[in-house]
Amino acid sequence: MTRDALAAHLRALIGPRWVKERTAERTAYDADALPGYRALPSLVVLPGSREEIVSVVRLLAAHGIPFVPRGAGTGLSGGSLANDTVVIGLNRLTRIHSIDAANHIAHVEPGVVNAVLQRAVAPFGLLYAPDPSSQAACTIGGNVAENAGGPHCLKYGVTLNHIAAVTVCLPNGELVQFGSAVSEPDGYDLCGLFIGSEGCFGIATDVWVRLLPVAPAVRTLLADFSAMTDAARAVSAIIATGIVPAALEMMDQATIRAVEASIYAAGYPTDAAAVLLAEVDGLEAGLDADVRTIERCCREAGARDVRIATTETERARLWQGRKKAFGALGRIAPHLVVQDAVVPRTRLPAVLDAIAAIGARHGVNVCNVFHAGDGNLHPNISYDADNADESARVHAAMSEIMQACIDAGGTITGEHGVGLDKLGYMDALFTEPSLAAMCAVREVFDPERRANPGKVVPIHACREWAGRAP
Amino acid sequence: MLADLADRIAHAHATRTPLRIRGGGSWLHAGRPCEGEPLDVSALSGVIDYEPGDLTLTAYAGTTLQELDRITGAERQWLALDPCAAPTATIGATVATASDGPLASTFGRVRDLVLGLECITGTGERVRAGGRVVKNVAGFDLVRLHTGAWGTLGVITEVTMRLRARPEQDDVFAICADDRTSLERRLAPLADLPIAPLALELLNAPLAASLGFEPRLCLLVRLGGNAERVAAQRRALDALGDVHEIALDRLHALRAADPTDHLVANITHEPSRFTDTWRHVSAFCDAHALWQPRVRGSIRRGLVRVSIPMPDEGAAHVGEWASFVRSIAPPGAHVTWEQLPMHAWPHVPCSVADRISTGLRRALDPAHILNRGLLGEPT
Ligand SMILES: Cc1cc2nc3c(=O)[nH]c(=O)nc-3n(C[C@H](O)[C@H](O)[C@H](O)COP(=O)(O)OP(=O)(O)OC[C@H]3O[C@@H](n4cnc5c(N)ncnc54)[C@H](O)[C@@H]3O)c2cc1C
Repeated sequence: MTRDALAAHLRALIGPRWVKERTAERTAYDADALPGYRALPSLVVLPGSREEIVSVVRLLAAHGIPFVPRGAGTGLSGGSLANDTVVIGLNRLTRIHSIDAANHIAHVEPGVVNAVLQRAVAPFGLLYAPDPSSQAACTIGGNVAENAGGPHCLKYGVTLNHIAAVTVCLPNGELVQFGSAVSEPDGYDLCGLFIGSEGCFGIATDVWVRLLPVAPAVRTLLADFSAMTDAARAVSAIIATGIVPAALEMMDQATIRAVEASIYAAGYPTDAAAVLLAEVDGLEAGLDADVRTIERCCREAGARDVRIATTETERARLWQGRKKAFGALGRIAPHLVVQDAVVPRTRLPAVLDAIAAIGARHGVNVCNVFHAGDGNLHPNISYDADNADESARVHAAMSEIMQACIDAGGTITGEHGVGLDKLGYMDALFTEPSLAAMCAVREVFDPERRANPGKVVPIHACREWAGRAP
Repeated sequence: MLADLADRIAHAHATRTPLRIRGGGSWLHAGRPCEGEPLDVSALSGVIDYEPGDLTLTAYAGTTLQELDRITGAERQWLALDPCAAPTATIGATVATASDGPLASTFGRVRDLVLGLECITGTGERVRAGGRVVKNVAGFDLVRLHTGAWGTLGVITEVTMRLRARPEQDDVFAICADDRTSLERRLAPLADLPIAPLALELLNAPLAASLGFEPRLCLLVRLGGNAERVAAQRRALDALGDVHEIALDRLHALRAADPTDHLVANITHEPSRFTDTWRHVSAFCDAHALWQPRVRGSIRRGLVRVSIPMPDEGAAHVGEWASFVRSIAPPGAHVTWEQLPMHAWPHVPCSVADRISTGLRRALDPAHILNRGLLGEPT
């Protein structure tokens, strides 16, 4: 079918306004937040309901046409890039169907923005725990597809731990529900399998998210160190005490300075080599004892100073610096690559040293701002993607950093997904049969490989499996 | 050992020989029909990697929960998972059956605690999923797929679990009040109490009696944390009635495996309907003249677990098994049977009969040799 004919069909299904054909309109969808990659979709379709998603997907299925689901496009791994493929944008599906305050569950459409959901449940004294730094823009559908995390996932867990059920439009247009909003079904954990499938298993049309009561009390501390490794040791010491902080975030000097030079200045000491932002929450009773323990751990590890936020304003300010750190770093150069990798917590000091050495060797400036309690690193590099030489050095440094994390027993992504960006590292992390098994699982959902083609698992691994399948 | 196991499975695949996977062996008595030559993985045991500072532990699947408890306990850590199981139950089987207990309301279910695993598929391929770090989204989540799959998609050979530091203080309190107060009235104050218990379990009188408590409805509250936090919560409990501290090992009795002649079911529904679920299950047992059912409930999770003594003559009260296995749960709730007599299992609705589940089975075990029949799946 020609593109024009397809567009005409789609217009008839969902209305002419919601099918974007003009180059200028499609260009708005030619990238996500991963710098240096552009891909122009052939068409952009914006269905307005579950039923419209189904009818669009059925039409595409009938003609064997691939598609890429897209939320807000804040992904950092190129997951929603669509090269000459149809993009199904989900931003119009922004309804919160219900909030069940008694059972701590909300039923939402996939295009609901994370922060909007947070605001909607707040009056009930509830919150949705996963809080990616992009929460002002990213969607629940995108969070489910990437299994998103955030600073408070140290204590409360990632998206996987907070989704009760999803309704999925499979790539053939069939609507199925995985999980349950009211009970704990047995059988295979298809809901768990779907979370983090990066748009390759179909489109989430409905999501039932679990909510938590807002903790009655909270304390936020900022400790500053004259060496990164001291801060890293403090992290291990805190965790070893048995306290599970709600968050334990680290920022290095380059990040601190970028933040302090921006409109998000949070009052971080600019001469510190690193700051640790720690938060504990829960019952009021015993919370101050935890704060004292954390303070002691920090001081014993060499902290120069430990500051405890005494007012809500002060606390919000400390957090603002952390939440807006990417934005602040983004001001330094035209592009910012936000990396994502995880290492065992005890390996943080060694890996941070290795990262600094790699950056120096390639003449690139690596800034670290990350979820230290989880060992989830975000080594970021500000650069100019249009400068070929600089880009090449950035890429070389990044692949060495990934390898260093793998060598330390870690993984290549803790929350941003594989998408396109990390495809090249999958072979280093997984054996051929492991990748082949992933392909086999994907083919159950999408035998024609039309949903977000070419992402997550390198294509050669799938060919292997195809050759071996019974 | 692993290579041999993989070869054996590859051979079984080639010859289409069904295999019945055996860990500690305790599940074999659950009555579930399953065909196959025994494939014993209990010898595959021992800790592979344990770095206390990382709060993660990697072990072979045949390592017993008891052994893990001992090793992590020495570092003041634990795998915060307390399923009903024999001490010889293995971590592999715990993951394969997704078995949990009262602590799950606080620390999560098995799916929330497994970080990675290695398994051998039904074609004899050794496959790794997840990793050894606490956060990981590299590739599709086959860890969740194998968790609770009862070995039907692969023989789990190794798992990495998330551990916790043991709370500084870990105390259990029992509140047993007279049975005339309605369940609602007894549970209502819980919602507003400033407590965040590690576990909150309601026990019926026969279960309380079997644990050596007074034979009355009994609320068990497990409190953990620093001394100040535990003390404040302990004081708050006074609003519920007479509070008795009990030794932690009394609670361990709750973890004992159910006698093999018991019917065991877990019924889950919305937490707000907990008392309805509880009453439905109790009334169901009464109606069938099933004496002395031991019932307990994880209140915040909306889960009611029932263990019903079922000597041979008891089966006479059951009537039709087909309706029995379904009607123990109120409408809208879900029942997961753990133990039933062999002839009752065919009446349990199969939960892996949908197109995706059968497709996954075909993809990972094309000759349908692993634990065939165990999930009541169509052959
Ligand atoms: C400044 C900044 C900070 C960030 N901080 C964090 C952080 O702290 N933690 C974190 O985890 N991530 C973070 N991210 C990454 C990103 O925001 C998350 O991955 C987010 O979950 C993506 O949501 P989205 O709606 O933008 O999805 P998109 O980028 O549009 O899509 C992401 C993937 O999901 C698929 N998808 C989208 N919607 C659906 C659906 N309904 N059904 C099926 N598939 C779908 C797409 O095909 C694509 O593969 C950050 C990004 C930025 C730019």
